[in-house]
Amino acid sequence: MLPAHAPGVYTGAANVIAVLILLAEFGMFRQALLRDQVRLYAAQSALIAVLAVLVGAVRHLPELYVLAAVTVALKAVAIPLLLRRLLRETDPDYLLDTGHDIAGSGGLGLASTVLIGIVVAAFGFFSAGVLPVSGGGAPATALSVSLSVVLVAFVLMIHRRDVASQAIGLFSLENGISLAALVVAASLPLILEVALLFDLLLAVVVFGLLIRLHHGRADTLSTADLTSLRG
Amino acid sequence: MLPIPVVQVLQVVTIVGAAPAVAGVIARVEARLQGRRGPRLLQPYYDLAKLFRKEALAPEGASWVFLAAPVAAFTCYLTVPLLIPVLTTFPLPLGYMGDILGGGFILSLAGFLVAVAALETGSPYAQLGASRAKTFAAITEPVVLFVVFTVALLTGTDLPYALAATVRSSAGQIIRPAHVLAAAALFMVILYETGRIPVETHSGTNEFGMIEEARPFEHSGPYFALLKWGSAVKQLILYTILLNVFVAPWGLAATHQLGAVVVAMIALPAKACVLGALVAVIDNSFAKLRLFKITEFAAAAFLLAVLGVFTLYLGGG
Amino acid sequence: MNVVVLMLLAVPLAAAVVTIWLPSHAAGAVTAAAGIASFGLVLALIPAVSHRDIDVLGFIRVDALSVVFLLATGFLYACVAVYSIGYLRSGGEAGARDRGYARLFWAGLNFFAWSMLIAPAMGNLALLWIAIEVTTIVSALLVAIEGTDGAAEAAWKYVLLASAGLAIALLGTIFIYYAGAHVLGQSYNLAFAPLLGVAAKLPPTVVRLAFVLAVLGFGTKVGLFPVHTWLPDAHSEAPTPVSALLSGSLLAVSFYAILRFYQVASAALGSGFPRDVLLVFGVASLLLAALYLLDQQDYKRLLAYSSVEHMGILAIGVSFGAPIALAGVLLHVLAHAAAKGNAFMGAGVLVRKFGTKRILSVSGGLDLLPWSGPMFLAAILALSAMPPFGIFRSEFEIVTGGLAASHNAVAAVLVVLVTVAFFGMSVAANRMLLTPRREPAADRGEPSVWMVVPVVAGLAALLVLGLHPPGELVGLLDRAVNALRGTA
Repeated sequence: MLPAHAPGVYTGAANVIAVLILLAEFGMFRQALLRDQVRLYAAQSALIAVLAVLVGAVRHLPELYVLAAVTVALKAVAIPLLLRRLLRETDPDYLLDTGHDIAGSGGLGLASTVLIGIVVAAFGFFSAGVLPVSGGGAPATALSVSLSVVLVAFVLMIHRRDVASQAIGLFSLENGISLAALVVAASLPLILEVALLFDLLLAVVVFGLLIRLHHGRADTLSTADLTSLRG
Repeated sequence: MLPIPVVQVLQVVTIVGAAPAVAGVIARVEARLQGRRGPRLLQPYYDLAKLFRKEALAPEGASWVFLAAPVAAFTCYLTVPLLIPVLTTFPLPLGYMGDILGGGFILSLAGFLVAVAALETGSPYAQLGASRAKTFAAITEPVVLFVVFTVALLTGTDLPYALAATVRSSAGQIIRPAHVLAAAALFMVILYETGRIPVETHSGTNEFGMIEEARPFEHSGPYFALLKWGSAVKQLILYTILLNVFVAPWGLAATHQLGAVVVAMIALPAKACVLGALVAVIDNSFAKLRLFKITEFAAAAFLLAVLGVFTLYLGGG
Repeated sequence: MNVVVLMLLAVPLAAAVVTIWLPSHAAGAVTAAAGIASFGLVLALIPAVSHRDIDVLGFIRVDALSVVFLLATGFLYACVAVYSIGYLRSGGEAGARDRGYARLFWAGLNFFAWSMLIAPAMGNLALLWIAIEVTTIVSALLVAIEGTDGAAEAAWKYVLLASAGLAIALLGTIFIYYAGAHVLGQSYNLAFAPLLGVAAKLPPTVVRLAFVLAVLGFGTKVGLFPVHTWLPDAHSEAPTPVSALLSGSLLAVSFYAILRFYQVASAALGSGFPRDVLLVFGVASLLLAALYLLDQQDYKRLLAYSSVEHMGILAIGVSFGAPIALAGVLLHVLAHAAAKGNAFMGAGVLVRKFGTKRILSVSGGLDLLPWSGPMFLAAILALSAMPPFGIFRSEFEIVTGGLAASHNAVAAVLVVLVTVAFFGMSVAANRMLLTPRREPAADRGEPSVWMVVPVVAGLAALLVLGLHPPGELVGLLDRAVNALRGTA
């Protein structure tokens, strides 16, 4: 086999950031405290912003700087604040840190879910390899990583048994899609990207309302008794 | 100009000779971080010398395996430095004896022999440590394999020398995700293999958490000395692989001039001490994982290694 | 015409904003007026778009295909608005709820209708996605408005699944952008008309992937198998007028999004692949719905599964590809809106009259409800494709198209499954309406006249569509079919 040819510093750096985003997604498997999951989501969003700045600098797309700024403001600051406030309201002992905001976990242990995540991520890598991607954005490996992030986020949403973790899983799924957008749609008109971000903010508000409703009725964030509607 | 066989011997001598020193430095750094004065830097040598003078005992019912295992393990540890880039950037003749996969096998063989000897003893602690070590090894060995695959995919061979040369060649090689991930995975495996936090507390014998520490429980005297020395040598070998192949492949001799070789002989333990200091910092920053969470730790290392192969093989990273 | 379009988009929004501050009666009146006005505006658009597309302000684009869906939404908006007046009034002690509920209800209804009206009018795939996302979040709040355990559970499932599906659809939209940017340059803004123009030059693999993602993603909102699981819960737990809009309009508007992607995909890839994808999803949905309809305990869930069934029929119809099948699909959108709206409105009357959603607890409907009973029965028959109602005509056209395109096996399967579905629904209808009342009856009479009038209108619409669709409507459908087939 021929030696793998070095990709260049920009490609390498961009790919490392993309892989860190994927690792953050896996990290959410482990985090038991909802507070930490929110932090991880904020870190993941910040990484997306960093990657946007990098791509913008190297590919001469100044719009991406604005996008990075809006991403940080919304996804790394505003949305985590909203989520933290929601958690504080739904957990009376939040400040006492008695661990009531432990995420409900599913049936499988952590190592098994990580293995499933690896299989799913492999599928994401393989499927992206089919696409002929030659964009003016981030390097092509990042597309494979982004599809893996999306798939692993699905596994996260399926595995978790409480509404807040499921919501955070959905938001990190959207992060994966933002990463894909950085690869193939880096020059999507800024107005559309900003509209998408504000749409996300709106969705977060609605999610918050519904979580409060759920918590108001069930006095817990767990989804264990959301089984009454069947058939 | 040193003749090649001498350089080969010096490789082994450097590793075997410097290993207790590195262990001593780590212990000293750790103690200093905890606010103590710490033992002498050369204390491990004194310990080994003391142990060699002591009487050896064997449990009733233990066979020749019990006595042969430490010697055999140490022999394995003497062999591996011949295969990896310790002092030189160019492969030495015996270096073709085995590639990095072979090196991994020989290290596992050594661990296996020690575990068998421990099982032989009938002592509960030794058996406990041996069984735990081999259970977790079921997860960490594949990690090592995947790291080896990364090396192979990156360079087209699985000679560690080749990877070192590739890494030295350009900055792009260092920052590519496969390289970073493989190095991180290997570092986590090293933490496991050398028995440090977050896997095991290195000092003290806490039977709830012992893995590596428990295996030499029943040995004594020179055999115990060989086992202790062997673990120190294993630690330095693993550090050498991480440093000279992945992270910092500089300071190696490009020719076999005497001066270059001497510089390399000093550089290696120096780099190992830096890495050891980092390990000591980690020791003092994190808590030990509960035993059943070590699978999570190993799964995380496995994840990093697998992702490294994926980004490389499927993604061109 | 531009003014008409702008008014159409502005009136419901204005109504939504205004009803936040009005008391319930006035809010109801404003909403009804807005609904009827919107329907009138859409009717006014029909002659215009039969000849050309309307472009307003650069990002709004209304063509024949859009107007079909606008028609469905407008009609249901008008009917449901009037119906809700009666629904809220007849709620008894539950209806005399705090003003908060009524205010949220009316404002939400208007916002919901507005979001469903802007989606077909967006000329830009990204804005289309945003519009459908807005429909999701507004409707999720409306599903939860009742505040019961079931409503909370249904709303959570709905919003989570629908948002996940829309995230997939967003990925598909991004890939379509990538395909388009290849040909149209990097600053391409996902406008639909230019994309269709260059469709033949788009890279096929990317378009294929984008189409599958779009079908899967938007299909979550349409209720296609296997991502339909939120649908029975959400449609049965929402307040009945909202369920009517959800089933009759929202599913259709989401299907509109799939149709746009279908247009691009079949222009870029030829029609084989897109049709195969839709066929698979359609048959699976129809099969699942038909089977589930055989064993339902809750009549609103029954109607929800019927919606899954009809969405499956839509997908199958598109996959047949023959012009008459496509015409049948579009007629089906209209007829299903009317019929499903009628059915849900009748179900709402049953809820108000009998106080339960369980099929087994309802009996003697025909005796106790002189108007709504027979009309509900008619609606159930209409949904099962009985002549002379519109759905019979549309399904007939679809099956004819299938036979014409040599998809004989699928057409046969469709007929069989529709019959199975009819069996399931008729058993329930029989139990609810035709069996004599066991316990001493509540008094005979309609809960509210406001709940009868819209159903009569819906029934009239179904008869018109079934017996003799007006000429302009046929012209509109022809032009829309041509757009779908790519023959302008």
